[in-house]
Amino acid sequence: MYSQFFGNFLLINKYVTKEQLFDAMQKQSNDRIKLGTLAISEGLMTAEEVDEVIIQQTHEDKKFGELAIEQGFLTNDEVLQLLKAQVPSFLQLAQTFVDEEILTNQDLANIITEYRSESEIYDLDFTSDDQKDTIEKLFDNFFVMSETPLSHYGRMYLELLFNNFIRFIGEDFTPLDGSAITEFAPEKCVCQKVIGDYSVVTYIDMDEDTAVEFASRYVGDQFSEYDEYVSASLEDFINLHNGVFIVNVSNEDNTDLELDIPYGVKDPLLIFDKKAYLFPVMYSFGVVNIILEVIKIETEDSEV
Amino acid sequence: MHIEDIKILISDDSVLARKQLKDIIMTIGNPTFIEAVDGQDAIDKYKETAPDLVFLDIVMPRKDGTIAIKEIKEYDPHATIVIASSVGTQAQLKVAIEAGAKDFIQKPIDRNQVIEIVEKFLEGR
Repeated sequence: MYSQFFGNFLLINKYVTKEQLFDAMQKQSNDRIKLGTLAISEGLMTAEEVDEVIIQQTHEDKKFGELAIEQGFLTNDEVLQLLKAQVPSFLQLAQTFVDEEILTNQDLANIITEYRSESEIYDLDFTSDDQKDTIEKLFDNFFVMSETPLSHYGRMYLELLFNNFIRFIGEDFTPLDGSAITEFAPEKCVCQKVIGDYSVVTYIDMDEDTAVEFASRYVGDQFSEYDEYVSASLEDFINLHNGVFIVNVSNEDNTDLELDIPYGVKDPLLIFDKKAYLFPVMYSFGVVNIILEVIKIETEDSEV
Repeated sequence: MHIEDIKILISDDSVLARKQLKDIIMTIGNPTFIEAVDGQDAIDKYKETAPDLVFLDIVMPRKDGTIAIKEIKEYDPHATIVIASSVGTQAQLKVAIEAGAKDFIQKPIDRNQVIEIVEKFLEGR
């Protein structure tokens, strides 16, 4: 299941009503997130411990952090770590429900665990160990190809992409070795740009027959020829993948990336100004080429 | 009110997404469908056809969904607009809700969620 929006997750699991959610989304302010909420989210304190400190705060005029240290729930370093932590955007919404007394801290602790386990799908969770090894090797080999390590976002992006291949298209593929490229002659190709601190243009290319089978598997309907629905299916796939990626990034460290509209590539030859990498994936029905053209990256010491 | 009596505007730049939504709704009846391919088209078609219910994607060419909601709501404050989107952070969704979206569904589209929205809408009429 995809739980991209934390709000949608709460709704589907009936933790809150639609009215409560809409109300909270409108109230949701940019107030500083509470240390207790963060401590639960980071797994440093239990909900009971947080509640205990909050009760204590009602009769001692001390900060949450101070009391938590006194009680031995947190160390000095942990408090500093929490104060410096980047707040995942969904936590702000979660805290609004606690402030409004719709959820307790205990509910919050349970929900965060459940939400994370369902939404953080960029960790490799392949069913087959062989497949996992092959992909890990691909990431390791990246260094050999580009002479720079794969960046945090680059790795997250590719892991999610392979997971989405497995989820939506099927597990019967083998990733082939990647290579750095300066140009590429596309066949049936769609493309979409992610814009922000990590800015990348992704191309997904394949021949006509492969596209028909790819789209059939994605939509769950058998297409017989390459038509507008097949082309739209490829665009939909890349859009869904990138959509999940930007929400994962937003959930993880509150960095908001944006997406351009996906479109079908008409140029007979793509010439890349920036660094571009080709990752072919061989399916039983044909080869799917993934090209990442990296425009901007959050750190200087990695290139994808 | 019967589903056959209503007009539904489906606004999404993806022909596939439009088809999927239509296919789902058609399992419970045959309303009149109007399709729009971008935000500006959605605003124009809304004014032309006065649909009863609108499904709108957030990220679309020309004018995006959040701007389209604002303009449709300015034109008709009673418009019933449902967001159907896979793309969007909570911040974008919040903007859409504040602009007046009544509901939202997340792609990949869940059939039951769509049916529930349409049926609730019909009950309320």
